[in-house]
Amino acid sequence: MGYEEGLEAYRSQLLQSLSSPPSRSVSSMSDPIQVYVNERRVGELEGAGMDARLHVQSLDHIETIQLRTEEGTLLGGLVAPEFGYRTSRIQLSSDVIELCVHNIAQGGSLSAVLVPAPSFWSRMGKILGDVTDKLAIRRPDTALAYSMRTVAFTQVLLAIMVVGLIYDRMATWMNPEGEPSFIGQPVALRTVSMTEMDKLEQQLGDLARMQQKVGETLESQQKGIAQLHQTMAQLSSSHESVASSVVMVKEEMEKRQEGPQTDRSTQRPVSDFVQKEQLEAAIKNLTVDNARLSNELARLEEHNQTLSAKLQTASVNASKAVDQNPERLLASQPDMESKNQSVQVVKSLQSPQTQPFLFWVTFSEGTSQESIDQWVHEKKGHKGVINEGWQEVRIVPPAVPPDLFLEQIRGEKIVKAARIRE
Amino acid sequence: MQNTVGKSQVMADHTVTVSRLEEVVSTSDEFDRVVSQALPVLLDRATGYTKRFLRETGQWNDDIEHEKFALRWGSEYLERFLVCGRSEVPCRPLFLFDSLVAKQHSKPEPFCYHPDLLRPLGRFLDGLVARAVVSRDALIALYRHSYGWGAGEVIAVTGLNGLESQRIYKNFRRWRESGWQRTMDEIGLTKTELAELTSQQQRHRQRFNGEAERLIRVAQAHYRKSEPDHYPCLSRAQWREMFTQGYGCDYRIWHLALCLDCMQAAWGLGSSGSLTEEKPRLELLVRP
Ligand SMILES: [Zn+2]
Repeated sequence: MGYEEGLEAYRSQLLQSLSSPPSRSVSSMSDPIQVYVNERRVGELEGAGMDARLHVQSLDHIETIQLRTEEGTLLGGLVAPEFGYRTSRIQLSSDVIELCVHNIAQGGSLSAVLVPAPSFWSRMGKILGDVTDKLAIRRPDTALAYSMRTVAFTQVLLAIMVVGLIYDRMATWMNPEGEPSFIGQPVALRTVSMTEMDKLEQQLGDLARMQQKVGETLESQQKGIAQLHQTMAQLSSSHESVASSVVMVKEEMEKRQEGPQTDRSTQRPVSDFVQKEQLEAAIKNLTVDNARLSNELARLEEHNQTLSAKLQTASVNASKAVDQNPERLLASQPDMESKNQSVQVVKSLQSPQTQPFLFWVTFSEGTSQESIDQWVHEKKGHKGVINEGWQEVRIVPPAVPPDLFLEQIRGEKIVKAARIRE
Repeated sequence: MQNTVGKSQVMADHTVTVSRLEEVVSTSDEFDRVVSQALPVLLDRATGYTKRFLRETGQWNDDIEHEKFALRWGSEYLERFLVCGRSEVPCRPLFLFDSLVAKQHSKPEPFCYHPDLLRPLGRFLDGLVARAVVSRDALIALYRHSYGWGAGEVIAVTGLNGLESQRIYKNFRRWRESGWQRTMDEIGLTKTELAELTSQQQRHRQRFNGEAERLIRVAQAHYRKSEPDHYPCLSRAQWREMFTQGYGCDYRIWHLALCLDCMQAAWGLGSSGSLTEEKPRLELLVRP
């Protein structure tokens, strides 16, 4: 095959697979769905007909979200907005995955919910829809954002404990007479006999059943967390409707004080009345939700403390070990050595404003070192490392949003390009 | 198509398609409709951008390997655009597409480029490891292709438990049934090239595996960045702890598949420290 033909054949093949994207095959319906944030795998949603959810908190801005099967098929995705919320509902045969992504100045969060039944979806969708529609221009209460982190943190601890439990149980089950356990059995890989293989398979089957039991326990725990999430979603929705009602009422009152109603219709008092009623109802909802939430939080807090205590005693290294992933999504501290970081991480997140603002910049061709230094000095900044021509610069956080700030920088003569991430 | 009338007709169609892509689409369905009619145009556009990027970064050469490389990434971007763009409505598809591609190229090292990875063996390895990043089936298959192991051996080496084990068997089955072929199609390895790889290996086993080991390290180092939040390499003591305590299941599966050094460091821990066998060396399997 010649150069041209070979290339053309390849091109046609690619086009063909693009035009008939393989859907989620029936056989893989029960398999977990892989979730990627910024093209990095962050976790998975159990696909076996139950409702599953994943909450991801990231210190970096979330740019893209992708859902894939175990085969790698791209099922759906979302491009996150620079700031604020975006939701997307992705239909996978009978299941629906609801994505809600939220970017703020200090990072982003994603919540992915797999909803098997439409009835449940409609409830969830309404809640999420309400939140998104109303909150699109507003950042949620910071306290709420922190409590979200607490929840994510608690989930990490729960996961650690459950993994510990599974292991303990298994060790006990597998090892009733103190014999070496299955996992620990010395097996020369290439010389496993057929009988051993059969035994192995049987053991695998047993193990799977036991795991299922543990899985059920885990599921019920997850449901608790799920309820809390839902409560919080409702709470922020109520928060918002109260806020908007207050604004409307205020406006109304101001207008009335300004002068006689010239162009208002006579229906106004009626709508005022309705609004007032709505407002009262919303406030009532809010109070109830608030109380429920603080109860939940108090309970979780307590649970948290017990768990941390257990963790500490159980193993010094437990916290560093269990899938670094969720912890590191909470904070970008890449070194393995920072043990016990989970607790510090949550704390350190509480004062993000005091951290310097960091960005990367390249300069126009022929810019002298002198003028670069001069420029950095004007910005009251400090130079950091240089990586592949990109100069790291730290400054006091700018008054304008990061993107606007970058735009401004890019407009400057000596600057060739600027970006936030390395 | 060779005559002038045909060519000018193609040009005219092209112009119509492009101008339609520049208009606003307001629903996801409309997006699908407009975009699916313009796949060739969009593929060529993304490929063109990728070629330009490679040229500008001094990574281009006028040969079929580079052309294929640009095509492969162009198609990769287009696939993401097809799926993610739907959520961006209302939008002008062409501008959205351009900005998505530009965003990809503004990342540091948007793809794994190495001249040796453009030859058939390198393409095979690069394609395999790249696929492992997005497909769990391919990730597990990496153990098979790198060391020749079957599902049982993968389970023993990584020290997995019941449920995870069942998944490994599934991963293996799907990879054999369709995953491998799909990946080969994706990287554009022809039957002839695959046969040539196999015969090279038969003729010069040691040299072939040595070269494969060198190349897979390049690919692994690049694609490990996509591991779940970048699991770092660990010492043998740290691996031992993870195996004996039974945590970090994902960590083990992901990192050991994508790191030859850690594979050797953690060797024997999963099957309870049996060190009777030598540490695993790369023994490439071309077919699943
Ligand atoms: Zn490693």
